Amino acid sequence: MKKAQIQMGETIAVLFVFFILVTVGFIFYVKVIKGNIELESEELSQLKSVAIAQRAMFLPELQCSEDNIAIDNCIDILKLDSAQALMRENEVYYYDLLEFSDISISQIYPSEAKWNVYSRKTDEFKSKFVTNAPISLYDPITRKHGFGVLTIETFLK
Amino acid sequence: MRKAQMEILGLAIVVVLILVATIFVVRFMVIKSPTEYRKGFISAELASNMLSTFLKTASKDCSYLTMTELLQDCAQTRSIICDNGLDSCKYAESTASKIFDGTFDKWNMKYEFLAYTDASQPLIKIGKACTAEKRSKLFPIPINIATMYAKLDICG
Repeated sequence: MKKAQIQMGETIAVLFVFFILVTVGFIFYVKVIKGNIELESEELSQLKSVAIAQRAMFLPELQCSEDNIAIDNCIDILKLDSAQALMRENEVYYYDLLEFSDISISQIYPSEAKWNVYSRKTDEFKSKFVTNAPISLYDPITRKHGFGVLTIETFLK
Repeated sequence: MRKAQMEILGLAIVVVLILVATIFVVRFMVIKSPTEYRKGFISAELASNMLSTFLKTASKDCSYLTMTELLQDCAQTRSIICDNGLDSCKYAESTASKIFDGTFDKWNMKYEFLAYTDASQPLIKIGKACTAEKRSKLFPIPINIATMYAKLDICG
């Protein structure tokens, strides 16, 4: 084999190794970018679930009020039945607000009870978050507060 | 430049490339972790909501007195005896236990609830003290002689 042929062989070997390195680097770069996109998507899903939970916690259809002043962290149990019917009748409006989610209220004290306020579930979800918020359940007839938990399940595609 | 010098330069370039690649790997794979927006929101809301809701709750067998009123009596005269025979301290404690059973215990969360005028001698203590990170909420409750406090720590 002549010297020139050997040098050509060397150059081809070096180029081969170089392209392998470039390919490995590119694959790694794509993996990192994909990981970052997944990470951002996870963060966005979390923020979306928090936004839906907050919307549910401050729904005027459920919130207690006194002299037209809304009371935070409190649900009027007399409003619950009307709210359930209202949400069923205006499904599209509430879908814009609460998307695919399931909202229920469980009373723990003084007695146990459960209300399902809104339910629109999907089987094709990518992530599901469950948020539990302790909430005061106000009975305007007796003017007494009970203890309950607002459970918001969000299904995100 | 001689051939040997060229080869050394080539090696140096390879070393620099490997170093850059290592820094890149460490930068993206090790340091970055997802921000827990939801966890922050939940733990910030939970302690505060739990305590404020509990204090507003009306008792079932104690003339509908709120937990705040029962705790105030517990820290002062202990003159209230509920329909089930428990005094204000015991009644508030049993109600808190019942509520935390249905919430924190069900959600597998560690917590500690304290009601006290003097932190070293709590009137009510439920749960175990957190050993590491915790979210804490303290509610002052006015009483005749001083101020009493209801404190809730949520661990993790």
